[in-house]
Amino acid sequence: MSGEKPQNAFPGLDPFMQMWNDFAGRMSAVGMTPPQAGSDAAQQMRRAFFDSLTQYFDQYMRSDAFLNAMRQSMESGLAMQNMINQQLQKGLNAMQMPSRMDTDHVAMLVRGVEDRLLDRIDELHKRIDRLENSPGATANGQSGKRTKA
Amino acid sequence: MTATTFPSSVFPTAHVFQQWQDAVQKAFAMPKVMEAVQRVRVGVTPSRAVYHEDNVRLMQYEASLEKRYKTPLLVVFALVNRPYILDLRAGKSVVSHFVNRGFDVYNLDWGVPTPGDRHLAIRDYVLGYLNNAVEHICKRTGSESVNILGYCMGGSLSAMYAALRPKRVKNFISLAAPYDWSSRDSLLCLWTDEKYFNVDRMIEVHGNAPPIWLQTSFLLLKPVQNLMEKYINFYENMEDEKFLDDFFAMETWLNDNIPVAGETFREFVKYCFQQNLLMQGKLELGGERVNLKNLTAPLLNLVAQHDHLVPPSQSTPLNDAVGSSDRKTIHFPAGHIGMAVGGKAHRDLWPAACAWLEERSEVIKS
Repeated sequence: MSGEKPQNAFPGLDPFMQMWNDFAGRMSAVGMTPPQAGSDAAQQMRRAFFDSLTQYFDQYMRSDAFLNAMRQSMESGLAMQNMINQQLQKGLNAMQMPSRMDTDHVAMLVRGVEDRLLDRIDELHKRIDRLENSPGATANGQSGKRTKA
Repeated sequence: MTATTFPSSVFPTAHVFQQWQDAVQKAFAMPKVMEAVQRVRVGVTPSRAVYHEDNVRLMQYEASLEKRYKTPLLVVFALVNRPYILDLRAGKSVVSHFVNRGFDVYNLDWGVPTPGDRHLAIRDYVLGYLNNAVEHICKRTGSESVNILGYCMGGSLSAMYAALRPKRVKNFISLAAPYDWSSRDSLLCLWTDEKYFNVDRMIEVHGNAPPIWLQTSFLLLKPVQNLMEKYINFYENMEDEKFLDDFFAMETWLNDNIPVAGETFREFVKYCFQQNLLMQGKLELGGERVNLKNLTAPLLNLVAQHDHLVPPSQSTPLNDAVGSSDRKTIHFPAGHIGMAVGGKAHRDLWPAACAWLEERSEVIKS
């Protein structure tokens, strides 16, 4: 007989069994406490159950099994949504109507124009500041500060 | 072999009958529940919009008292929910603590991003909307700087702003805000790991980060509490009017999720959650590098000890990262939302936070 631990046929059940054992242990502890009102014992049992369940869920949601399942379901969901988007776009284009892709494109163009304009305004501000602060500007009797027209 | 025995009082017939009686009583309490649903009101302190830009509104809270302090306070909330959580109900309003002490309080309401806002990036929020709101406050009040209270993601955005425009920030209060994502102990960090989460693809398909998706993620962080215990607790307390009012106000806020602008969400996940650039001083916004050492304003870091969303390991490193010489941390035994609406927080934490700000604020001379 080898010293290796036997392989579990259902490794996915391990966290659940751990949670159940933990819960059973806590429940026994509640049963063994000195006699008390029924509702109090029930409250303690419930608390123990929820604590164990919380712990179990937390462990499960950190497991590779959950994370991979999450990734796969998200990829499938996104692929499905993408397919719907494309079909809608085709349908709308066929009807000569703008789709979300078209409005996105327009938004991108406007944003590009805005960025270029802001960059240009920044450059102009810097140039004006340089001109106002240059020795020539003050020598000509200018204050160096912009005033309202 | 020993058998586990339970006290006979656990399953007595009288107990079952009592439960049945309770259930009937609860059924009779239903009209009271419906009334509570109808009278739910959130956002208790009167306010008015003093500045608009796209969807963003800057709200000023009206005070019955005369203003006592020269520097206004700007509250900056996260982009994932509505900001009225900080002014939820009477007795549970963070805003009212400051208003009642004589501060001129403003709240930046980011608004609800439309599909056309998917290209808004972090720089648009920080160097655009936030910067413009601060400039507007300074212009209208004549103050050279503002105090900032940043909650959750709003704290991260405010810290970026304070590092880029340090002269405009007089005092900085961080409330349960993340800055360091190097530790992978939180579920959100694990779920947003690039091995499991392709944020580029998600934003490409959805445009903005969908609110239902965000809400489901938050619910799943504590599934037993959010999907089971909460409703059992509700059932047990449905005859208590005060409980019902608090419960429905909270539910209103929790279910009032909004989308997050796609590019901002993508950048936040990539640069913060996945690459942790802010803490390393490698984050760039609009061509400017965000160096937290430039944040030199006095800092009060309010850390929630039982925070499942922003664990203390993400908040506390801010104190060592900033350039402020006046730094204080308060570790408070509450959860992420409990810091804003918890009874204990309103009794102990917020008076202390107000006192901290008062000590560092200039009184208006009459």
